[in-house]
Amino acid sequence: MTSDGGVAHDGGTVTDERGSQIDRWLVRKARDGELGAYEELIRRHRDRIYRIALRITGDAADADDVTQEVVIQLWTALSGFAGSSAFTTWLYRVVVNRSLDHQRRARRTASDEPTEGDLVPVAGPERTVVAGEELRAGLEAIARLPDAQRVPFVLCQIEGLSYAQAAAVTKTSEATVRGRLARARTTLLAEMRSWSA
Amino acid sequence: MTGPTALPAPEERLACGRWTGPLVEQVAEGRARELDEHQRTCPHCRAALGEFERLWGPVRAVAADRPRAPVSVVEAALRRVRTGSREAEYGRLDSPLGHTRVASRVVVALARHLAGQVPGVEVALSGLAAEGHGVVGEVVPDVQAGVSGGSTAVQITLAAAYGQDLQALGERIRSVVARGVREATGLEPVDVTVLVDDVW
Repeated sequence: MTSDGGVAHDGGTVTDERGSQIDRWLVRKARDGELGAYEELIRRHRDRIYRIALRITGDAADADDVTQEVVIQLWTALSGFAGSSAFTTWLYRVVVNRSLDHQRRARRTASDEPTEGDLVPVAGPERTVVAGEELRAGLEAIARLPDAQRVPFVLCQIEGLSYAQAAAVTKTSEATVRGRLARARTTLLAEMRSWSA
Repeated sequence: MTGPTALPAPEERLACGRWTGPLVEQVAEGRARELDEHQRTCPHCRAALGEFERLWGPVRAVAADRPRAPVSVVEAALRRVRTGSREAEYGRLDSPLGHTRVASRVVVALARHLAGQVPGVEVALSGLAAEGHGVVGEVVPDVQAGVSGGSTAVQITLAAAYGQDLQALGERIRSVVARGVREATGLEPVDVTVLVDDVW
């Protein structure tokens, strides 16, 4: 998929391969204790770390927390990175797991957790003339997806990972990713439909 | 319910016999206008595609929204990672009205950025040259009060693109980094060591 339009791709590109090579080099340096290499690694991936956290938690403050936790955790966890998979696969798995953990903790501890009834009603697409409202409608609908659907949806539809990459991140099969993604899309359309009714 | 003007559900069979699931996928993957032979003449499919395309707008808006990580958030985390590493160092430039201190990290970031822009460099890291590299002047530790070091020495480690004159590359990097650091900070780069660590 492209990062902007949500179109699937099933193979790596030259750019992807070059990016992986740079990552491997930086990981090797960072594992040798070069902090500069680690900082460069984080700079290369910080926006995606943040976006995945933001789309999974659905909350900017939570995404800030997850991003910080991941940046701190990875520095020590790098020694445990076997290098048998792409660095990004490992990184996104850490981000996804952290985001889900964070959200679960927040749900358990927050007594004022927003319920379905708390979510602000959103006007149907035909009435949402302001782009910001359309964005908000989409974000709220995604936030309502079950975890099992939201994660592959964020990885594939929003971040443009291939089915194979998303399967590697979530440690599932491509078929599972496809199925969950299809259900997520169906669920979202049904939500949009109810708003427009 | 499934006539051309009705609202089709995301999972049902249209009057023409086609399931809506693949149409949803078609829209979600940005292929709503890529009609197959059947769809070109089928009012049911075209109506469903049009409706799904309209409803998909908010999701498209989310996919197009690319927020960036707040730099302050990432930097705060990196500061915690840096805790325990060496203390901050500063270069010092004196003038009749006072002095300017430039943190070593500024030189490091500048050098990395400048070196990374040189054609033939795949990825570059930079650090301040360690003691024992024959550096004079120097970026000095802040604790050495009274030292007026206006010089800096930088070491750049990089991976280069395969098939080029590495010595010439080193010279280009030295030139670009020295000029850039001098212009941006006022510090004099007395030594720019280029370490080609890998070639791809």
